[in-house]
Amino acid sequence: MLYIEDIEYFDLVVIVNGCEVCRRVPTHQRLLDFLRDDLRLTGTKEVCGEGECGACTVILNGETVNSCLILAVEAHGSEIMTIEGLSHGQNLTDLQQAFIEKHSVQCGYCIPGMVLSAEQLEHEQAQPDREIIKQGLAGNICRCTGYHKIIDAVEQKGDR
Amino acid sequence: MKYYRPVSEPELLDLLGTLDQSNYTLLAGGTDLMPRFESGMELPLHLVDLKGIDCFSGINDRGDNIEIGSLTTIDALRKSDLIHQSFQALWQATDQFAATQIRNRATIGGNICNASPAGDTLPPLYAYQAQVRIIGPAGERQVPIADFISGPGKTALNPSEILFSVILPKAAGFSTFYKLGLRQAMAVSVINFAVVAVVDREKKVFNKLTIAAGSVAPTVKYLNKLAGALQNNGNGIDGIIDLVDQDISPIDDIRATAAYRRKALKNILAFTLKELVNKR
Repeated sequence: MLYIEDIEYFDLVVIVNGCEVCRRVPTHQRLLDFLRDDLRLTGTKEVCGEGECGACTVILNGETVNSCLILAVEAHGSEIMTIEGLSHGQNLTDLQQAFIEKHSVQCGYCIPGMVLSAEQLEHEQAQPDREIIKQGLAGNICRCTGYHKIIDAVEQKGDR
Repeated sequence: MKYYRPVSEPELLDLLGTLDQSNYTLLAGGTDLMPRFESGMELPLHLVDLKGIDCFSGINDRGDNIEIGSLTTIDALRKSDLIHQSFQALWQATDQFAATQIRNRATIGGNICNASPAGDTLPPLYAYQAQVRIIGPAGERQVPIADFISGPGKTALNPSEILFSVILPKAAGFSTFYKLGLRQAMAVSVINFAVVAVVDREKKVFNKLTIAAGSVAPTVKYLNKLAGALQNNGNGIDGIIDLVDQDISPIDDIRATAAYRRKALKNILAFTLKELVNKR
């Protein structure tokens, strides 16, 4: 059993974007804050802080999750991918490239979460239609684009 | 806050036996608990994470019934062929539940123990006459879900007890779920309901009918007056739909008024029942 002695800290071991990370974290720290403040992976955004908007989406053990709804300690022993882990240097993924080509980005704040949800959707389903795309992105709110160009990008990527 | 992640059922029960019952909180998916922390709820002294215990997850076919571990995620239910084929109302509830990120974490046990009047898996579980299996220091017990949930956020769990699983008798009949929310995803239900029905297609009557509705009372309610009136009957649904009023007590809140909830429930339920009984 995992048990923390009186101190309210925990020696966390996780794999983030392919690299093992060992850090001492407060037990009440959210995964979101661990990623942003401790690891400086600020591509993961906070907007609502209550699991409604999806801006803080990361991929935890192969599934999209809201990192504001998870304590860092809960991720102990897990594998996490943030938006920083998606591309290899300057080589964007096809989906990221499609977001650029279709002008899917306005303010950009929702986009890291949006891209990760879309990547995960395409991982599960090779050529999703627009309805499936809408359902797959339903946990990610965008207040700028009206979604059409985002859906265009995911659809185009599926067609390639 | 101390964090614990026991890896077996005996380890968990031992741990709960040693903790002061007023000081610990159980953590399943965390999708309801974390927003409460965020909005200022005091952190517990002890947080017991149940996700390390494998036997709490999984969907098992037990012949006459199926047993769903309390830590089974909403997404696992949604992806289960067994649920999709045999428990359509529950499957629909999981399909319309929040959105992907939440479904990947939220658990059926959490949805039950959170005991929200609007919990989306609850009307199907009530309509299937589900039993919940509870383990604790004094052993094991099983109670109908309607007896387990006693009010908003209140359950019959005693200190040191844990919801182990939920047991669904394989439903004889067709089941369906309806959710009315203010948007399609991430919505707390304005009303929701589940119907389990056996229909005589020739006579166009209900041989068996169970209706459970949520967000219209402090807990999910069986609409027994209406269901009783439709026993071996299938006509004049519009004329008797007001019987629903006798079983519900909705309130006004930020999502809808009580009057709207009554009206919406009656209209959509009447439509659904007519479709069911007239279906070829």
